[in-house]
Amino acid sequence: MRTNDKVTGAVTLIFGILVIANSRGLANLPHQAYGAGTFPAVIGGLLMAFGGLLVLRGLRSNTRWMVWANAVPIKQFYLTLLGIVAVIVAYIVLTPILGFPVVASTLLSVLLYCLYRPSWLIAVSIAVISTAVIWGVFGRLLQVPLELGILEKVIY
Amino acid sequence: MDSFIAATSLVFTWDVMFIILAASVFGLFMGAIPGLTATMATALLVPVTFFMEPLPAIAAIVSATAMAIVAGDIPGALLRIPGTPASAVYTDEAYLMGKQGKVGVALGLNVVCSMFGGLIGVLCLASFAPLIANFAIQFTSDEYFWLALLGLSCAILVSGGDPLKGAISMLVGLAISMVGMDSVSGQVRFTLGSYDLLAGISILPVLIGLFAISELIRRMPESKNPTPPMQTDVKSPFAGVGSLLWKYKFGVARGGVLGTLIGALPGAGADIASWISYAIARKFSRTPEKFGTGHPEGLISASSANNASLSGAYIPALVFGIPGDTVTAIIIGVLMTKGITPGPDVFVNEGPLVNAIFMVFVVANLLLLPLGFMAIKGARHILSIPSGVLFPLILVFCMVGSFAANNSMFDIWIMLAFGLLGFVMAENDFPIGPLILAVILGPIIESNFMRSIIKSNGDLSSFVDRPIATVLAVAAVLIWGMIVVNGIAAGRRKTNLSFS
Repeated sequence: MRTNDKVTGAVTLIFGILVIANSRGLANLPHQAYGAGTFPAVIGGLLMAFGGLLVLRGLRSNTRWMVWANAVPIKQFYLTLLGIVAVIVAYIVLTPILGFPVVASTLLSVLLYCLYRPSWLIAVSIAVISTAVIWGVFGRLLQVPLELGILEKVIY
Repeated sequence: MDSFIAATSLVFTWDVMFIILAASVFGLFMGAIPGLTATMATALLVPVTFFMEPLPAIAAIVSATAMAIVAGDIPGALLRIPGTPASAVYTDEAYLMGKQGKVGVALGLNVVCSMFGGLIGVLCLASFAPLIANFAIQFTSDEYFWLALLGLSCAILVSGGDPLKGAISMLVGLAISMVGMDSVSGQVRFTLGSYDLLAGISILPVLIGLFAISELIRRMPESKNPTPPMQTDVKSPFAGVGSLLWKYKFGVARGGVLGTLIGALPGAGADIASWISYAIARKFSRTPEKFGTGHPEGLISASSANNASLSGAYIPALVFGIPGDTVTAIIIGVLMTKGITPGPDVFVNEGPLVNAIFMVFVVANLLLLPLGFMAIKGARHILSIPSGVLFPLILVFCMVGSFAANNSMFDIWIMLAFGLLGFVMAENDFPIGPLILAVILGPIIESNFMRSIIKSNGDLSSFVDRPIATVLAVAAVLIWGMIVVNGIAAGRRKTNLSFS
């Protein structure tokens, strides 16, 4: 998904403006002309300058605003992207409620089924075993507090 | 001698050896799967290394990257798909050797040359790093400011592609590094009122997002595509390798030295080392017309160079705390979280650790031979794992890994954001290397600048008072001049292309 330099340049330029705007309120060190806002202001200024150059280059070139140059059809790409984002958001939202084992194995089962197309039984089996391994490595071995959620009462 | 014995006792323990072996197998697996890079392997390994002592953590990363680079040659020779970008330059050569019935020789050369290249790199690292550190011990904040700036500038220049986009990538990285509480004045910057951002953006989810999630976004839609046909089974991987190595011994040595030098340049990694080494091998070859037809000469030189560059990248990382590539940027991040700040002082205060790191490199490179052999023999099985099974597992691993550093769900949001950013950047030819180097070097540049400015009471000319600082400043200005000239040239080329 290539965009014209006009687009990326404009985004860079706006980002530079935001950096400068947010660094204006930062106070200098006592008796100095420099402080916490110095570097952000320099970075913001350079972002604006380079973003502007990119916009100029984009305006001089004769390419389209956005080009899909990948071998995969754009619909398939967007669907997969949406799936990845949905899985991550679902993990963040649901894990504190349902716990890591339930959420991870459910999400894995769905992803495996969608991408690999085995039977549901195989997808669920791979998902449950993988979740158990990840939970064993991170939760037990490395002591990362992966929430058990609804399984807490069952296990303890 | 005492330091050497202390280092030996640090390395040759059961737990360190086990970690080296396990990380090597992990790296081997990751490198052999097309699309999964050595940097991605490192990013996925970091959550685990967070829970280790400094030496095992570095040992894990060193072993995994060395093995991933070597394993990246396997799908290149069997499927004509490079496993990692570092193998791309000689993929055709190896594949065509396979077509001539010499796939075992091609892969055997890859493994053996990588081992020799890696060992040459370690030799250079162990010989020169302490000498440079001895010289660098007299550096003050002035020199460190210029050095870090020079490192970032080099990263833009050598990262390849459009310098303007490289510079923007670096500036975005610097802006990201400013988020959180300012280390000098304690003022809060760019947190948007979020308590989670007070301590800044954690490096781990940024790495996982940029190197793993963005790659998954790119690869997952292709996971339903069928795998291309594979070449025949590899029967005897090392048969005939010895005579070819002897014939092209200077190519191995040249690749090793060149790879180390290129690796030491900030921003230039294994892929650039192998491209340049291949090009030079062709230039000095007596039979340049044979290149690209299944000829081993370029493959030998480039295989040596890409693994040697891994060691070379540790020279600026250990001596100055300036990462030579994305992997050493990750290493610096890992060391800092463990209270060790890389720099010349490390060679004095942590002598045994530094020597132990050199030893780990030697062990990891020697392990390439048996594990590489096993990987070649088992290549068919590794490559038959469907990506539709692998990618969902990596995605869950990424989420757990991002969470693990701070036990915070917020870091998974960061991972997602940087995954999307990394994808958009890569699609539009913005190099990721300068961004990640800037995230690591941003605080170093700013804190050294502020320290110097406070010391000199606001006098900017003090930055070039000392002779070494002046030399570094001139070098930085020259490199920026080259970046501007290259940027203008790239702009003209692009405009001409779009109108033609």
